[in-house]
Amino acid sequence: MAIFVQALISGILIGGVYALIGIGLTIIFGVMRIINFAHGDILMIGMYATYYLFTLLHIDPFLSVVITIPLMFLFGAMLQKVFINRALDALPQNQILLTIGLGLIMSNSVMLAFTSDYKILTTRYSSSSVTILGISVSSPLAISFAITAAITAALYWFFLKTDTGQAIRATAQDREAARLMGINVRKMSTIAFGLGAALAGTAGALIAPTYYIFPQVGSIFTLKSFVITVLGGMGSVVGATLGGVLIGVAESIGGVYFGSGWKDVVVFTLFLLVLLFKPAGLLGKSRT
Amino acid sequence: MTPDSNAVYRARRISLASLTLAIGVLFLLPLFVESTYVLHLMILIFINTITGSSWNILGGYTGQYSVGHAAYFGAGAYTTMILLQYRHIAPWYGIWAGVVAALVTALIIGSICFRLRGPYFVLASIAVAEIFRVSVLNLKNITNGAEGILITEIPPLSSGGILITDWDSKVPFYFTGLVFALLVILVSWRVGRSKLGYYFQAIREDQDAAHSLGINPTIYKNIALSISAIFTSLAGSLYAVYVGFIDPGSVLSVELSVQIVMIGIIGGVGTILGPVVGAALLVPLSEGLRSNAIANLLIRAGIVDPESRAGAFLKENLGHAHVLIYGILVVIVILFMPEGLVGFVRRAVARRASR
Repeated sequence: MAIFVQALISGILIGGVYALIGIGLTIIFGVMRIINFAHGDILMIGMYATYYLFTLLHIDPFLSVVITIPLMFLFGAMLQKVFINRALDALPQNQILLTIGLGLIMSNSVMLAFTSDYKILTTRYSSSSVTILGISVSSPLAISFAITAAITAALYWFFLKTDTGQAIRATAQDREAARLMGINVRKMSTIAFGLGAALAGTAGALIAPTYYIFPQVGSIFTLKSFVITVLGGMGSVVGATLGGVLIGVAESIGGVYFGSGWKDVVVFTLFLLVLLFKPAGLLGKSRT
Repeated sequence: MTPDSNAVYRARRISLASLTLAIGVLFLLPLFVESTYVLHLMILIFINTITGSSWNILGGYTGQYSVGHAAYFGAGAYTTMILLQYRHIAPWYGIWAGVVAALVTALIIGSICFRLRGPYFVLASIAVAEIFRVSVLNLKNITNGAEGILITEIPPLSSGGILITDWDSKVPFYFTGLVFALLVILVSWRVGRSKLGYYFQAIREDQDAAHSLGINPTIYKNIALSISAIFTSLAGSLYAVYVGFIDPGSVLSVELSVQIVMIGIIGGVGTILGPVVGAALLVPLSEGLRSNAIANLLIRAGIVDPESRAGAFLKENLGHAHVLIYGILVVIVILFMPEGLVGFVRRAVARRASR
């Protein structure tokens, strides 16, 4: 039982970061109907940014989020303006290939610049732990969860209370209607992609202290982000939050009971079951 | 006969003649080319032509963009290698067992994924292929897990007491690859002009309309997938025996699935020539980067100074980034020539002719 609770809690903590990744993907999908296959690679760039901010400028990885967020937002907005915007009317399959191509360019450019060596970011608190509800949890994980929760809360506030947030939601609901209501749909798309990239980059920054950093790390997270968003329902922010936590828990508990080698099979099987039997996701609306 | 149809006949005769010539040259090439590197490149081009063309039957003709073709490649490769290394069954029998394994895999994947459409199909195809990869990684007592399978020797092929080949050089692999590649091109061509091919295209253009006209989409999608899986598996087996080593990362990865799609897309989706052009362009480019030939060329041409930091850097690292070329080309193709290189060139030629 103690093992189960331990697995559950660390699952929830990891799930917080997964939620950020998923929310980013779901915002991009919601506004543009594009599945961003470069999502994990954007996250990877966030990891590298954090790593070099730490090793070169000695900025704490969790503090550096303040720099990573605007940096990654600009990066995402640039991607949207230069590439994605030109393919908004292309076939969905071609949009997918475009983002796959962009992801390959990102991971291979990083490999060219920084080689494919594994990098590890070690802070002085990397191996320390805190006790939550009588269960000991590694500190980086706990801090990253707290930051995740704060960012998610800020995001909900942004979508519910601000004009821009509401305009983005309107664009996601019905692009044409939003345009007729005088919303600058193009600008909203740019902001949405920027936000998505910022969230992925932030997630990268938050896991940098607990994960190996290498150019191909993105593909793992790209796949994971699909599972998270499909589970919650494509385009639903609440769904992605829930999906992230669920996948974190499923992985963690699956790892304990099936062995860590099989935990991905557990996750992908869950994914296929949702696709087949509840394609709209747990909280999503109809697929069209 | 109108002058118009005369021109058509002449064009057809010319293309038939050039096709025969090209095939003839390809069959005679090993007699004149001694360089093992050229043969190696050609074998890789054949393997990529096979995978690209077989993907094209499902992705191009039928419109089902599978990003999980590594599963069939890996099914062929693993079956052939396991039979060869642990059961001592010669690869020319093993590859047919590989085909059966790939067909079974295809039926499993098809029954799951074809319930879904568009981007959801893409996601499901990736997920199933990943389940296969992780399973192979974990079933260590059958597949040797992450360490992969290394073959120590290939039994010589002889017929009626006469030795045909002992697989010592690259030449037998060259001919095997060439024959398989021609076979898949022939099948693509036949399928494209048959009733089956029209059914496939009807499903691609509008699945619901096709269904209402009495075409059962599930059955025909599975037929397209089966044809596709058979040839992808042959390519996988050929690759495995040729290289002599496989592991989940080389024959079952998402990266491989993506490369298979790229070959079809960059050349031109839904055309017979597309995957051939894609393979003939991408393989030398990415191999050139990998073997540092391109870095050396830049230095020799005097564009980059070998003593400078940039020169040292290129020599050191450019080889690792051979996949970069796939990424750049696919972005260019999707944004600027959505019909692929073949369509783009064809259109450019037509524009010039009409002027």
